[in-house]
Amino acid sequence: MKLPIKLIITLLFAAQLFAQKNVEPTVEDVKKAKTLRDAYSKDDVAILESEENISFGLNKDKSKVTVVNSINEVLMNINHRADISKYEFYDSESRIETFNLKYRNDKIANYNVVDEFYKDNDLFYNDARVKHVSFDFPVQGYTYKYEMEKKYEDVKYFTSLFFNDEFPVIKKTINISVPDWLTLELKEFNFQGNKIVKSQKKDLKTKSTVYTFVLENVPANYKEESAPGRSYLYPHILIIAKSFKENGKEITLFNSAADLYKWYKSLVDLMKDDTSVFKDKVTELTSKAKTDEEKIKNIYYWVQDNIRYIAFEDGIAGFKPDESNNVFQKRYGDCKGMANLIKQMLTLAGFDARLTWIGTKHIAYDYTTPSLAVDNHMICTLIHKGKKYFLDGTEKYNSFGHYAERIQNKEVMIEDGDKFIIEKVPAVAPGFNKEIRKMTLSIENEKLTGNVSRSYQGESAAQFLYIFNSFKNDKKNETLENYLSKSDKNINVDNIKTSDLTNRDQKLTIDYDISVANKVTGFDNDIYIDLEFMNEYKNFELKDRKTDYEFDYKTDYESTVTLAIPQGYKVTKMPQDLVVKEADFEIAITFQITGNAIVYKKSFQFKNGVIKASEMDKWNLFIKNLVNNYNQQITLSK
Amino acid sequence: MNKIITLLLLSVSLQVFSQDKAEIKEFFWGKTDNFKTANTVPDKWKNESAVIIYKNEFYDYHKFGVSVTYTSAIRKRIKLLDAAAVKEFSEFSFKDKFYSNKGYSFREATNTIGVKIVKSDGKEIEIDVEKEAKVTDNEKKIAIANLEVGDVIDYYFYSVEPFKSALELGFEPVETTLGDIYPTMEMKLVFQTENDFFVNFNTYNGAPKVKEIPTKKSGERKYELEARDIEKNEFPKWFNPLAEMPCYKFQVFFARSGKFEERADAFLSKKESIIKETVSKEDIFEYYNDKFRPEGDLSTIRMFLKDKTFANDEEKIREVYYFTRHNYLTQYIEAFVADEAKIFSPYALYVDPIFFRTEREFINHFMAYLKYEKIDYDIIIGTERYNGSIDDLLIQKNVTVLLKINTPNPIYLEFFTPFTNADQFNYNLENTKAYALQVSKGKRVVDSESILLPSTTVKDNVNKEVTNLSFNEDFSGLKIKRESSLYGQFKPAEQKDKFYFFDYVYEDYDKYKSVRLLEKVKNKTKKKQYQQEFDALINKLKDRQKEEFKKNTSNEYGFEIEDHSLVIKNTGRFGSKSPMVYEEEFLIKNNLIKKAGDNYILEIGKMLTSQIEINKKEKERKNNIYMSYPRAFENEIIFDIPAGYTVSGIEKLNKKVSNETGQFISEATLNGNKLIIKTSKQYQNYFEPNSNWGKMVQFLDAAYQFTQEKILLKKA
Repeated sequence: MKLPIKLIITLLFAAQLFAQKNVEPTVEDVKKAKTLRDAYSKDDVAILESEENISFGLNKDKSKVTVVNSINEVLMNINHRADISKYEFYDSESRIETFNLKYRNDKIANYNVVDEFYKDNDLFYNDARVKHVSFDFPVQGYTYKYEMEKKYEDVKYFTSLFFNDEFPVIKKTINISVPDWLTLELKEFNFQGNKIVKSQKKDLKTKSTVYTFVLENVPANYKEESAPGRSYLYPHILIIAKSFKENGKEITLFNSAADLYKWYKSLVDLMKDDTSVFKDKVTELTSKAKTDEEKIKNIYYWVQDNIRYIAFEDGIAGFKPDESNNVFQKRYGDCKGMANLIKQMLTLAGFDARLTWIGTKHIAYDYTTPSLAVDNHMICTLIHKGKKYFLDGTEKYNSFGHYAERIQNKEVMIEDGDKFIIEKVPAVAPGFNKEIRKMTLSIENEKLTGNVSRSYQGESAAQFLYIFNSFKNDKKNETLENYLSKSDKNINVDNIKTSDLTNRDQKLTIDYDISVANKVTGFDNDIYIDLEFMNEYKNFELKDRKTDYEFDYKTDYESTVTLAIPQGYKVTKMPQDLVVKEADFEIAITFQITGNAIVYKKSFQFKNGVIKASEMDKWNLFIKNLVNNYNQQITLSK
Repeated sequence: MNKIITLLLLSVSLQVFSQDKAEIKEFFWGKTDNFKTANTVPDKWKNESAVIIYKNEFYDYHKFGVSVTYTSAIRKRIKLLDAAAVKEFSEFSFKDKFYSNKGYSFREATNTIGVKIVKSDGKEIEIDVEKEAKVTDNEKKIAIANLEVGDVIDYYFYSVEPFKSALELGFEPVETTLGDIYPTMEMKLVFQTENDFFVNFNTYNGAPKVKEIPTKKSGERKYELEARDIEKNEFPKWFNPLAEMPCYKFQVFFARSGKFEERADAFLSKKESIIKETVSKEDIFEYYNDKFRPEGDLSTIRMFLKDKTFANDEEKIREVYYFTRHNYLTQYIEAFVADEAKIFSPYALYVDPIFFRTEREFINHFMAYLKYEKIDYDIIIGTERYNGSIDDLLIQKNVTVLLKINTPNPIYLEFFTPFTNADQFNYNLENTKAYALQVSKGKRVVDSESILLPSTTVKDNVNKEVTNLSFNEDFSGLKIKRESSLYGQFKPAEQKDKFYFFDYVYEDYDKYKSVRLLEKVKNKTKKKQYQQEFDALINKLKDRQKEEFKKNTSNEYGFEIEDHSLVIKNTGRFGSKSPMVYEEEFLIKNNLIKKAGDNYILEIGKMLTSQIEINKKEKERKNNIYMSYPRAFENEIIFDIPAGYTVSGIEKLNKKVSNETGQFISEATLNGNKLIIKTSKQYQNYFEPNSNWGKMVQFLDAAYQFTQEKILLKKA
């Protein structure tokens, strides 16, 4: 914030002084703030105390368990000054009853509280709303008290409790008061390694048990890109309301995956699909197909190519798929709508296709936990000749039988009438996504010239096709050329030939001529060559990183540069090889002289699609060595 | 009787204005729509993302007494040729109700939209906007169903904005090229007005002329602009679209009587029935001859001048300019900061504050001062070069006013910012044609003449850098010390970018011995509290500034630098020749040094920082070149050659390209253990015709090539 100069003269006469706050920090506060800033040097604000109380009630009319979640916090500015916001979301299943900010002296701080729709670029429409307030801490040690109370009409939408916050929390207390009539499981995740003090106390007066969890010195949420989902990163408690007793009768909620399925199925049963709407389309897509596989592909690819992803999260529509006829006619839908359309089209074509719930890689849980927090996505399972195929309509340029990294190895819940099937989406080896680059070069007039052949498979191909085809027609060639030359003026590419860039089933290839300037320098009688102009992973140091780095997919990249040694020259210096083999990455950079050519090979393999936080030191050491290596040149002498 | 007439008129007007949705639909897609079946696009545009088959813009201005109804609408019929275009048009969002920001308003304004798609078989599907719209807060959103590549999307957006204006009122001017982001087969702009609405409208650079269409009623007017076969807009580097591409400009002004016509901030036509197409020297004279008058309280200036002597009037005027810049601007900045940061509301602490909000206040005040000093001056009416020439002036807002003080060496003064100087003015006005309004006896404008405003040259606008670099102990990186000195027009933008208020406000307080904000606070407890809060804010901003400095320097080189520090040695806020100077120290690790056995290759050319890269496509440029100002980049790079090493390859650091468009010259010399490289890159002119582009590319490429040059450090 560079403070703009406000040029409103009328304000010059607005004599009203701001209400005296009289709430400056005490000497101890300032001291405390300084100490905390030493410990949390990247944070402006620390939450000194955060107490969260959860209690349950019963809505007898609707026979639903309700929840009250209240939070009381003391926030302190630990930097020179802080300008922050507090916000809380709610939706059609919840409401915020209290949302207050108070000064240290317990007087209400009258900052403007905004209540509006929560807007998310990925969601066309959703019913989530947000209450938020922006306020400033004018000096170090300044504090506010924050109070919030939120009610849920149905316990199934109250799924989890986290200890970490946007700001570090010096002491976090969670009290969960479970009445005797309610059977509730508090499932702990990522408690290991965190000193969470647990206790429980019977409250005879309210006939309930209070479970208390206390964690001190909780760091702020990590603000790192390509990190795993929060259910992997932070200690938390999943609330699983299994059943309750009413008038001596036991009413089951989510006791097991079967109950979760039962609820999902009840929503699916509400759908009224009219498949006649796309009967002609299915005939058109399948009539000329020679094999079942061709029919399946024609339907699956048609949905990928023609149904746009537009997500509505509106009350129950967040869980119930839109009818296939609607999605077909509108040509857009969310994952559920697309999954259902694929299912119905395949069914119409005579195949066995089923709706399938799945939690993507972003979510740590599996179906042993019966909770709405377990899944966030829907796909379609095709059961064909005894084999299961998973079709994800939201993937673009996904070849039939290939599975995106985000669903690989994840449990799926496949519909099966009143029962359900739990399976896992198969994982692939990194070689499946292989990207190869072969360059044959020679030196001409201090330039490297030759040709390049690139190929892509699996997810590397799908990603390429998706990005390429999202460009405007008139920009496609220019963009491809810029991509191949890395928009580097020294690199000139020409004569580009590609495989069919709409075909997702064949290996993707790009061949072109290349000329690279300013990489060959003659000094005295020697020639110095810098073969490193692609600089793969050069700036990939993951400094101070606390979380795993997740790649889009398991990357397997191989580059071979073959440089002809000019006549009359011999190689006098070559960079050293660099080979590392670690749990998450295997990399080999090698130089070889073969006949009258130098063969420079690089291979990078991230076999798990991740660099674990525990491997980060090794990775950063490798990057240091890699940069050293890239900074070495080949010397040719006469 | 009168009442009846009024009521009658009211009902007529209501009828006219309360067009319902069906009428709006009929207006665009009804019987008179000639494009109903136009679904094909020419072959030459088959590889585009989309093609606009028809674009129709509509503006209507009507009034009843002080009640104005402003209607604006646009319809586009577009053939979608790829997935990117389908995505682009797959969602619409709009506010169907809002309040006008013009005049004052009691009635809500309405936006009506209509969308239909035409499938490739010709089948039309109209979107039911009411049914499909999702409402979030005050916005409606529609996802367009059944939209595919090959479809035509046809939509309109119709806005009716009622408001009342007892005074004169100018509508926002429109200045735009005929082209759009997609090629356009046909476009039509329609204007409807009646008496009391004055229209300025003209087209430029080969765009077709606007035509008047006869209307049935007297007092009603209709105009049309039609154009066909327009390529899509593509704006290269260094380009002023309005100066070169077919374009149009218009502005409508509402003025109910001669009194309001006089007061209007516009060059109005003599009669509403005539479109104003050009603004002549006479018009300028007429408009401005009584716009400015010497007025203002000169007591603070007189106090400032008391007991001071100056070498001449020029020096005096400059000093007064800098004083007023502080007195009427920078002395209040702390107060704005205190308010903005919610530290306290400071305004009651000022007695009769005078703060200039507008150019006119500045001009009037300075006129008063010049009149008091009996110094002769002219008022300059100019327009920034990206608006096109002053000969094509149409819109009053495009005017920038300067004062030209007729001292032996004329001084041009502009409305100040914290970074303006009394010996240079807005570079967008330099070397442009302008009008000088001659002022008699410091008071009345008596005549006007056409003049060319002075230029600056590569000698005035200089960015000088001295960079010292040496290897660190283990040859793994470079230690850099760089001093940058900016002169002339280089300064204001850099000052604005680098400085926070504390970098210059306190300089002014010290210079003019004026009272700081917190010194005005009498209550000691409060003063202490505010001081602490102010200090906290400044400390926080300084942390941010440090980050920004590092990031900016990294961006200059194109890679991360480390351990960066920057010290501002001179703000350079008092005269174009007083440089803005800052010194930086930082480390470069993992870049620029390559190892070859025992030898090192140093990419020393990159110390020049990233240079403009002209790629293949840009080399084929068809447009003229429009730049900011003539400028020079003078660099001196001094490299400490490490002991025990010799340097090879110096000859490649010597480059020389020089022509009438500019130059890049570099010279490397060895002096003991120092390699000294001096470079000079100059852009000679504000403008180059396209025929000179090749010459520019020559020196730009030479500068780029310099950055690619390396030296070899050979172990002796």
